[in-house]
Amino acid sequence: MKKTIITLLSFLSVSAIAMEPMSADDMGMVTGQGGVYLSGDLTINENGGPLNVDGPSAWQASCDTATADAVCGARIAVNTGDNAGSSGWFVLDNIRGRFSFEGLTLKTRTINSGFEGDGAAFNSDVLEVGLPNSLEYESVSLTVANSSSARPTDANFQQTNIFTLNINGQANLQGNLLVYPTGTP
Amino acid sequence: MKKIIITISALFPCLCFAGLISLEDSELQKINGQAGVTLETDGHFTIAELAYTDDGNTLQLENIEQGSQADISQNSLHTQVVDIAADGRLQIRSTLAPTALQIGAVRINNSAASFGQFRLNYSAESYLTLGATTDSDNYVEGSYQTAISDAELIWTTNGNSLSFDDIGYNADISRLAISSATDGSRTGLGISLDEFSYRFSTGGMKLGDISLGTLDASLAISGNAEIYAGGRDGSEGLSVNADMIILDDPDNYVRYTDDGNSLFMGDFNGDLKLTNFTFDVMTDHLLLGYDELSGSFNANRILIGDSSNPVGSVQLDFLFADGNGYQNRFALYPGIVLPDYSALPTAAIQNYATDFYSGLDDSSDGLSAALQWNLANAEAAYIDDGRMVVVSGIESYGSGNLTLDVRSFDHDGNTATADKTAIALGLSQVSGSYSIDGLRVGNKNSPLQGGAELLLSLEVFQTMDFNLNGYTLITAGGVSGGGIQLDGDYFFTDSNIGLSVDENGRGVWATGVDYDIHLRGLQVDVSSTGISMNRTEQWSTMDIDNMRWGDRDSGTSLGRVVLERFEKGSSLTINPGGSGAVCVGGSGGDETSCAAAGGRWEDRGDEGMTVALKAAFEPEGYTSDGSLARNRLTWENNRSVDASGNPQSGSGTQIIFDGFSTNDGLGPADSNDYGFQANLKIDVYETKVAKKFTGTDDNGVYGEQGDELIYDDDSRTSYTYVASPTDAEQLLRPLGFAVQGNVSFKDFQIDQVQLSHPSGGAQTVFSGIVMQNMDITTNLTATPIR
Repeated sequence: MKKTIITLLSFLSVSAIAMEPMSADDMGMVTGQGGVYLSGDLTINENGGPLNVDGPSAWQASCDTATADAVCGARIAVNTGDNAGSSGWFVLDNIRGRFSFEGLTLKTRTINSGFEGDGAAFNSDVLEVGLPNSLEYESVSLTVANSSSARPTDANFQQTNIFTLNINGQANLQGNLLVYPTGTP
Repeated sequence: MKKIIITISALFPCLCFAGLISLEDSELQKINGQAGVTLETDGHFTIAELAYTDDGNTLQLENIEQGSQADISQNSLHTQVVDIAADGRLQIRSTLAPTALQIGAVRINNSAASFGQFRLNYSAESYLTLGATTDSDNYVEGSYQTAISDAELIWTTNGNSLSFDDIGYNADISRLAISSATDGSRTGLGISLDEFSYRFSTGGMKLGDISLGTLDASLAISGNAEIYAGGRDGSEGLSVNADMIILDDPDNYVRYTDDGNSLFMGDFNGDLKLTNFTFDVMTDHLLLGYDELSGSFNANRILIGDSSNPVGSVQLDFLFADGNGYQNRFALYPGIVLPDYSALPTAAIQNYATDFYSGLDDSSDGLSAALQWNLANAEAAYIDDGRMVVVSGIESYGSGNLTLDVRSFDHDGNTATADKTAIALGLSQVSGSYSIDGLRVGNKNSPLQGGAELLLSLEVFQTMDFNLNGYTLITAGGVSGGGIQLDGDYFFTDSNIGLSVDENGRGVWATGVDYDIHLRGLQVDVSSTGISMNRTEQWSTMDIDNMRWGDRDSGTSLGRVVLERFEKGSSLTINPGGSGAVCVGGSGGDETSCAAAGGRWEDRGDEGMTVALKAAFEPEGYTSDGSLARNRLTWENNRSVDASGNPQSGSGTQIIFDGFSTNDGLGPADSNDYGFQANLKIDVYETKVAKKFTGTDDNGVYGEQGDELIYDDDSRTSYTYVASPTDAEQLLRPLGFAVQGNVSFKDFQIDQVQLSHPSGGAQTVFSGIVMQNMDITTNLTATPIR
């Protein structure tokens, strides 16, 4: 089977993250290594967040799993300008939902063979993130928006919601994500 | 030749003995069942110097005085009743009225400095019986009971004291034997104790009359000791071989109590073997050491605050022995041996060391030690509801210097308020290493697995080589009542940390690490729910010269990473009990509703631990030391190198996450009470591990994708993959850490993200990131991979 290392991201030329589809034979090459096998779920703001409990009045709300109240989700605001006081903010708002996965693995390994001969030339160590076979999304939602300031409690706050994303379903992931340094440290 | 020199300036100036009166036979016949002879000693004594000389070096106990507890210059009463029992045994019953015993100084070869002053106030009753030997090797056999009450032990250095008040001590040795002992060519003294049980309690450990809490314990042991002439150095000295068994008694316990709440370890047993422990007096220090110390320890009941909710059990096996070029030796010096400031790694450390030892000189009292250790192996097991995880192959070695004294401490930097009395602990030029081979799950003989990375969440690294200088002041008083407060400055320099390392030493390493940590007002308390550590203020900088992949010294580097932290009001609490029953992958309050929601119901039992962390990150500001501190993460690469090829810090391109902080929702000017909170409920539990690919795995076992790994039996040495495990097979799933976690914060701000280069200047990528109202709940199982 053709095996390729695809560099997805090279940041400042010093690190690399690669997607590596692997066969059972490839997995069999990995010996004598430790690591961790992770399974479980991750839920964001299932019953609101801490500001909904005793935060400023703009945030306080009764939040449960079913509520659609916009203030019950998490909020991330980013200012991409060069002055936080005079430019607008890109916002991911009302972030909620659950992610479930099974079989995410983390370990370190040396690649010095395989990959159609590229492995021997590579001959380096990697941090291997073994992707879970399935990743389930349950009621995952977020709103993409622009706002005049970072916080809803700021003076003259204004926000324009652009669209809201809802995701339910399952993604099948296969292979490994390899993370390793490259370039000049 | 040993010389015992006793100079007595005034020995029993007032000795009042009961008169001995000869009795007629007729009078003797009238006395049945009465004590034989009563001796009453009403006395006071002083000894100017008691000296022990070993190969020409002298250990001196000076200005020894015993007298009444109310006024040590007055007499104290000692009554002894001596009798012969019907079976011929000698019986001596002693009663000591409230008495004080004081040692003014302990020196070596007339050293200017002393180990300090010691005083013991006590009352005692004891009962000794001596009789015919049942073993021809024994010189004497007997039993001994003693009860010490209302006692107080005080250690004073330079006018400041640590005391243990209201000590109660009861000991019962059912069989005591003294015999000869042989060890090759040597002949010595053998002491055997059978079923030695004792109870111990203190009403308070106090610094300057403020309590740190109370201690009490009950223990049953049996043991043997052999004592020989001749130490490790020269021809004189002392050496001891000993072994001891902590009897398997459910009543064994040790308890520390703070304001009525306790840390409790009970129902424990174990054993200890000490080989060739030696004691020598050297020219300026006492030299203690041993060839080997091995033992095991099993504690079946551990309570943290909540007496109704046990944490689980722990088992520890260990062996200290020579190895790695290190031995287990302890050189104890009288007084404070000041460090060689010029030999400390940086000017900043030299300044902190100078401040710490200011006011002390070569004549200051205290204890100094030069230590060397080698832990050849240890296995530490934690058992949660019957499920065992073993941290296996723990090794450590190193050496360093230590000082210990009691002093007054301006704890709040305010000369208008009273100083506190503090225990001062200085560590200088400590150089050492430790490593963990991996984990074993299920039982102690299970195959060694990876997964020590799981300990990173507890800030325990898999392996570390370190150089440490640190200065700690311990004062009494936590947040409420008793408890302990720590103030300290710690400096790790040129250290290497293995974050995830395999058996060949390859993995992810942080190398060339300089890490300085400054703690102010770290208060440790035990409450009714657990143990808490509240940090009034903390700032630190971790500067990782290279984050390497592969080999520690030559692996490819990601570059330099610097993490600066500045926190006020952060805390850590540890409470008993894990997550209990949880629904993983769904929502549901019981098994039925959980399954209906697509989740998996797991009852993880009553034991386990809950760790709650709060980090209140402060905006940039000044510390109580007057230095400027902030929270900032910097990643630097493309650095230029020096003539030796080493990358130069500050010469490359940096991406900087600058000024991150938390607040209560309105921005950095708002209060910062909530901070960043992480609550982790940790259990050891069977975890579902599914085959990721169809085929054979690393160990040659075939399985279909999605099949579960199931062990063949409780030995957990071999396994197969099963498509649909039965209930019985599910109990043989791999054990791992099951963590129910919650991470939340009200407001987390990063002031700016910049790219910076020394010649190109700084460019702003983001001029602000604000995250609010985040609450993330996780149910994770983390299993070591074989």
